[in-house]
Amino acid sequence: MLSRARRPGFYIPAALPLPALLIVAGAIAYPLGLELWFSLSNAQVGEPGHFVGLANYVYLLRQPTYHDALRNTLVYTVASITIKAILGMALALAIAHRFPGRRLVYALLFLPFVFPTTMGTMAWYYLFSNVHGALNYILMQSKLVPNGVDWLGSFGPLPMASLITVNVWHGTGLFTVLLLAGLRSIPAETIDSARVDGATSSQRFLHIVVPLLQPALVLGAALSIMGSFGDFAIVHVLTNGGPANHTQTIPHMAFTVALRDGDVGVGGAAAFSLLPAYFLMLAYLLRTAVRR
Amino acid sequence: MIARRVAVGGFLGVMLAFSLAPLYWMLVVSLKGGKSQLISGNPWWPGVQFTLDNYARVLGDPHFGRLILNTAAVTLATIAISLVASVLAALGLAYYRQRFFNAIALTLFASYLLPQGVLFIPLAVMLSRLHLFGGMAALIIVYPTLVIPFGTWVLWTHFHRLPADLFDHARTEGAGALRVLWNVLLPLSWPAVAAVALFGVAVVFNDYLYTFTLVSGHENMTLMADVGSNLLDIDDPGPTFAEILLGLGPAAFTCALFADVYGKGLGTGVIEEPGGASQAFQRVPPPPGRVE
Repeated sequence: MLSRARRPGFYIPAALPLPALLIVAGAIAYPLGLELWFSLSNAQVGEPGHFVGLANYVYLLRQPTYHDALRNTLVYTVASITIKAILGMALALAIAHRFPGRRLVYALLFLPFVFPTTMGTMAWYYLFSNVHGALNYILMQSKLVPNGVDWLGSFGPLPMASLITVNVWHGTGLFTVLLLAGLRSIPAETIDSARVDGATSSQRFLHIVVPLLQPALVLGAALSIMGSFGDFAIVHVLTNGGPANHTQTIPHMAFTVALRDGDVGVGGAAAFSLLPAYFLMLAYLLRTAVRR
Repeated sequence: MIARRVAVGGFLGVMLAFSLAPLYWMLVVSLKGGKSQLISGNPWWPGVQFTLDNYARVLGDPHFGRLILNTAAVTLATIAISLVASVLAALGLAYYRQRFFNAIALTLFASYLLPQGVLFIPLAVMLSRLHLFGGMAALIIVYPTLVIPFGTWVLWTHFHRLPADLFDHARTEGAGALRVLWNVLLPLSWPAVAAVALFGVAVVFNDYLYTFTLVSGHENMTLMADVGSNLLDIDDPGPTFAEILLGLGPAAFTCALFADVYGKGLGTGVIEEPGGASQAFQRVPPPPGRVE
């Protein structure tokens, strides 16, 4: 019998991942290395810079703006994911059953997720405007508030709440889709046997359905934090980090420092400083999704 | 029972209003004219300011056709490159169910989780060194790197749920392995493939950072870059909104109609319970004697 390696065709499947690996190595691994170098150097836009060790990180840690951004990132991320998960769960349950027009309703609920984020956020920017803004118009016409509310420009929780609203608007559809797929994959027998055992509907939901939906929830959370899904665009267009850093987040800060101020080194360090948190998420996600 | 239906219907109504409010508002503004429209009148209804001028202007602008073509070219190229690379990679990785190849798959996925803020600066530097800065080629290189890692992972986990027999069959075929993978496995996987394609559209449509900064020059603009570079006339966004709704609205809505497929495609690999694998098993036709 031929040894496995000498069988014809053995090498062909082994070569299949090569294009993907090449693209990823060229456009991710190399830039990542470059970024690591930037974060350890005093590079500016157009200047290669010299090695400065951890000076950029030390500098960042001493900046109150960095601490603000860290706190804002945490609030923004946790609050929007929690709300999206709850609304997404409710929507998934609401559209799990057939009703007339269900497909259209489902598509319209998913539409904000595939509609270009930047444009949607621009619309929200005008809705929140304090100069004849469309949201204030409704509130004032219905006599809920005497004067317009300054949604984006006031000090206090409103700008962050507005930011979270737009994030929830954009991302709830993704959670709905993932949770609905999760709901559908739960075997009917599992629910039935719990019913036979005398579990009430809320018990069945909390103790059987929710744990089984954990992978869908984790995937939704991971997709909404990472990759390319819009949290940069939302901050940039809606508040640009303002007023006075009240809504500044770490990714947006990295962009501003590196490109507006031209300080590629400090910007790189700001971006890199989030990596440990991302790796923790990654580890958790892989444990949940690969375990089975 | 009726009370419950009313509650569910009411909740769906509120969520639909929330999802559609900014889009509806954009439509209203695109149907109005003049600089004063944003500071007077009912922002939720065109009223006396109604006009189709914005749409006539967009349709009469020769630049608009170019933008649509560019956007379509970038989107389709991104999907094509991403699908080919991800499908090949996932097939190759699933063919070898061994630790080493699992590690490659996990590495690919891990690279997806890097926030784009980390990679953006060095990517811009790299592309300018390659003299690709400013053109559409830059986008066609960058976007697939955002799709391929996740796409590979979705397809890989999906292939993993298919019966091992199929892969054994491919192995005994030797040089025919590729054909077995292609003719037998792929047809069983179209929701996952469609989900990856949709994911690609979402990446292109939701991007802001890359179009905004990597592309320059009128002839290279995509719709997103064009709108981003004008950052619209703040006093009269009507023409811009008309451009977006006309150029991207139909595509976004079409994608939204596939919400179910998206959930199903991501679901088979990631979310579904192990019970799902046995269902997949029953869908599999008996192994063909010889695949020509």
